[in-house]
Amino acid sequence: MSSNAQLAAGPTRGRQPAGASPRRSKPTSSQARVGVAFSSGYTLFLLVFGVLPTLYAIYLAFTKANAFAGVDNFVKVFTDYRFLPAVGHVALYVAVWVASLIVLVVLLALIVHAIRVRWLSTTSRFIFYIPGALAGASSVMLWLFILDPSVSPVAFLLKALGNDSFVDTVQVNQLPFVLAIIAFWTGAGGWIVIMYGALNNISHDVMEAARIDGAGPLATAWYIQIPLLRKWISYMAILSLAAGTQLFVEPRVLSQASKGVVPPDYSLNQLAFLYAFKQNDFNGSAAISLVLLVVALGLSVFFVFRGGLFERD
Amino acid sequence: MSAIDTGARTGSSKPQQWFGRGIAGLVVVVFTLFFIVPIVWLLLAPTKNGRELLLGAPFSVGGLTQLGDNWHSLITYQDGIIWTWLGNSALYSLGALVLTLLISIPAGYAMALTEFPGRRLLLATTLIVMLIPSTALVLPIFLELSAVKLIGSPLSVILPFSFFPFGVYLTYIYFSTTVSRDLLDAARIDGATELRVFGQIAMPLATPVIALVGFFSFVGNWNNYFLPYVMVPGRKAPVQVGLAELLSNVPQFNPTNAASTTIDLPTLALATLVSVAPVLLIFLFSQRFLVSGMTAGGTKE
Amino acid sequence: MSSQHRRPFTRSTRILAATASLAVAGLLAACSGGSATVNSDYGFATAEQVPDSTITIWADATRQPAVEAFQAAHPEIKVDLVVDDGSAGGSATFQTKIALADQAGDGWPDVVFSTQNNDASWASKETNGVQAFAAPLNKGYLEDDFLSGFTPSALDPVTVDGTVYGLRNDLAPVLFWYNKALLDEFGYDVPKTWEDYSALSDKLAAEHPGYFLGSVGDSFVGTYVYYFSGAAPIFTLDGTTFHSDVNDPNSKKVTDLIDHMVANGTLIQDSLFSAEFVAKADHLVGMPGAAWYAGALFQNPDNVNANAGQWGAADPLYWDGEDKVTGNVGGGVWYASSHSKNLEAVKTFLEFIVSDPSTAGTGGLPAYQSAADTWLSDQAASGFFAGDFKSAMSTAASSVWSGWGYPNFSVETAYAKVIVPGLAAGKTVAELADEWQKEMENEAQVAGYTVG
Repeated sequence: MSSNAQLAAGPTRGRQPAGASPRRSKPTSSQARVGVAFSSGYTLFLLVFGVLPTLYAIYLAFTKANAFAGVDNFVKVFTDYRFLPAVGHVALYVAVWVASLIVLVVLLALIVHAIRVRWLSTTSRFIFYIPGALAGASSVMLWLFILDPSVSPVAFLLKALGNDSFVDTVQVNQLPFVLAIIAFWTGAGGWIVIMYGALNNISHDVMEAARIDGAGPLATAWYIQIPLLRKWISYMAILSLAAGTQLFVEPRVLSQASKGVVPPDYSLNQLAFLYAFKQNDFNGSAAISLVLLVVALGLSVFFVFRGGLFERD
Repeated sequence: MSAIDTGARTGSSKPQQWFGRGIAGLVVVVFTLFFIVPIVWLLLAPTKNGRELLLGAPFSVGGLTQLGDNWHSLITYQDGIIWTWLGNSALYSLGALVLTLLISIPAGYAMALTEFPGRRLLLATTLIVMLIPSTALVLPIFLELSAVKLIGSPLSVILPFSFFPFGVYLTYIYFSTTVSRDLLDAARIDGATELRVFGQIAMPLATPVIALVGFFSFVGNWNNYFLPYVMVPGRKAPVQVGLAELLSNVPQFNPTNAASTTIDLPTLALATLVSVAPVLLIFLFSQRFLVSGMTAGGTKE
Repeated sequence: MSSQHRRPFTRSTRILAATASLAVAGLLAACSGGSATVNSDYGFATAEQVPDSTITIWADATRQPAVEAFQAAHPEIKVDLVVDDGSAGGSATFQTKIALADQAGDGWPDVVFSTQNNDASWASKETNGVQAFAAPLNKGYLEDDFLSGFTPSALDPVTVDGTVYGLRNDLAPVLFWYNKALLDEFGYDVPKTWEDYSALSDKLAAEHPGYFLGSVGDSFVGTYVYYFSGAAPIFTLDGTTFHSDVNDPNSKKVTDLIDHMVANGTLIQDSLFSAEFVAKADHLVGMPGAAWYAGALFQNPDNVNANAGQWGAADPLYWDGEDKVTGNVGGGVWYASSHSKNLEAVKTFLEFIVSDPSTAGTGGLPAYQSAADTWLSDQAASGFFAGDFKSAMSTAASSVWSGWGYPNFSVETAYAKVIVPGLAAGKTVAELADEWQKEMENEAQVAGYTVG
């Protein structure tokens, strides 16, 4: 799921650098020296923890016992009976999650933005944001309680939906929704605040003009605010898409808690984990990791070069 | 309800506008409940005993004595392993925090305000890597570090945690939008060396971005599960991984545990709360900053 | 040539020769001390021993009191107990954590307890060039005198090609537990066969609705208590060929029994350790279950918490006209690490934990004969359980069906994945059976077995 870090990952608003463009000033050799020296630590980490592991994963994925194996590992993984179900689970979850994020986050941001009472607006944003403190295992742990009808504060809701026991709640066909709810609870607040910030940046003149033209709140939202949020929305969608495919800790903890009713091979990352640590097949594990990495990389490259949200200099 | 201004400032109060406001108000109320109810429940759960938790009203308040008992059973569990876990989390997150700042701030500065060969390539790579979820690299990094026999060492967590391209990008944006190049050039003309320019002009201005990068780095790393789960098993695990271990000692979630030395549900709830306490505190203290939309660059509230 | 020229040459030759012989000696020394050599005393390559070093033990919470009893009895041995889930439900905690340690080349525990009986199949094998985790126990490490103290065939599930890799904690044969107070009150007899059990369920459902005869909510119950006891060939192994047949007559009989009793409400779906089960436990009339239910359920203040004389144990149920066999529910195994740096202490621990009369068996029937005798006599003497407890236990222990397989994956995962949620959704086992078999066969294939 998207980490807090990524939530704020696009702080540019088309604002130009306050200084002149870096290209203009003539580089001096002492500047170049300092530039290289200052960025060398980071470059080293980029190589060691970004580029090298990728290369190593590629090497492992195409070899077996250190001999070139072509696409054997990929064939093995793709024909594994657990692979397609895992793809299905992850795809369904990502679809549900991203769709609900787009609709609900935009809706809530618009409403919160329309609240004129300052403390009310601040408080509601803070309440939306605070679950973000509970990420990873902690949030699943909390949701174990919420999802178990025997202790849940919303047991009446669960039972109304036909879930009489924890096993009912986490049955595989409704798990994508359950996982999406957990992810939404943890992550949506951050996005609402970001959208709210972006809405604040729409100039008052534009909004005023719409009002004078007689546009109601719905029309303003639909024809002015949402189009201006489009980049942010696609940014959110891409990031969530990429993060969603990496699903691991949530189904893992749920699997542990449900004694295997949520299978230990529910998501692709879990499958890669099982390949590495249950079957001792690091090559197969690398093949799955590589597939996941390529998906994330593809989305990322696409967005950076086509999304136009980032200051690329 | 009247607090919600849906644009009808002209004063007319047509029924459909009231309807619209009502719907909007209802949506906010429902989602406020959705976000807050689990947290309120979590804050109350540790004040009850297992029986009250199962049978009592969900939002009843237990007693302080019970809270004390639950606390006691948590900190005596396995001779206080919760402290070991918290200590590990602190070591990993703080170690990575320091290293991240040492690496990211100069790098972001260099990319924003100096010119050097390979700068644009570095920037483009950073952007791409920044958007890749960190989870995607966990197994590849594990395979790599296991090839150099570093698994099990604290470094196997701290070093990957310290690779934080987003922090570099944030610093880059910050320096390129708030520090004027002309100012630096003027200092250079006055004879200041590059190091002095960085130390005496850029750094004093950098406090906000240091706080921002530090915040995201710490929160993200404290809550990370997958990477430490594979890198540092056993007693070296941080609290997030430990929390999941606790789960196997809750009889409800583990069929063969029938011993008296198990963890009760309220204790598990307390452990959950303890595991996020530092992050929760940071959130509370930086409340104003968090909700301002600053993270999105919005400043005009 | 003058001698002056010669001298330096011979000197250098001499130095060279000396260096070479040193190197060879060093190499030899490295070899004999290295990890590649088998310790002839123990039959496996031992790590360099560090006397008095702390031994790390992984075990589940149920085993904690026994480990603490060991610490009290042997204060000279430093113990670090790490409590985990004991790999319950086929979670493979043991296997994945060892795989992580293998990669790290460090962090192995000295002793591991697992609730599963099938771990020897992988723990006895070297993986990716790392020595097999489980230490062979009958190649000199433990004395034959000690090992022969186990109940006959107790060590079969942990014996691979004649080598013993683990010690059974307890025997877990399935017998029939009954609530004497309720049976007397209702005027029912203790069932002797599965047919009796099924007939009793109909009577109970009709005359005393709300009372019940067991639960199928745990993956170890459905598989081991019903199918294993019914000699159903759903999980068998022949060499490397895995075989599962849910349509075998024996399997079908069990499936029909479960479906019948779930339908009439006498088999519930709550886990034996859930709050829901505990709340209903006073309506439990009887159920087939493992020997360790004694301590884990009936004598456990947090579970059934029976009064003395309220519950009794009877001979296992069997199918009318079939062999009198029964199932086995885990029983747990203790493993010693071949990487241990303090094998002496590990040996002391292992011998204590399985054979000390006060703690062996951890609430169940100890696998070690002398400890079992003590436990049985104590239980009989205390009169806690009604009926001929000792005879029921002994009958059960000696009639475990030999057809069940112990491959390197657990039967419980497929059951948890397919049957538990299916039953919860209102389906019958008969409807799910083919999907269940397919899942087991798939798991077998992934684990490297041929499906036949």
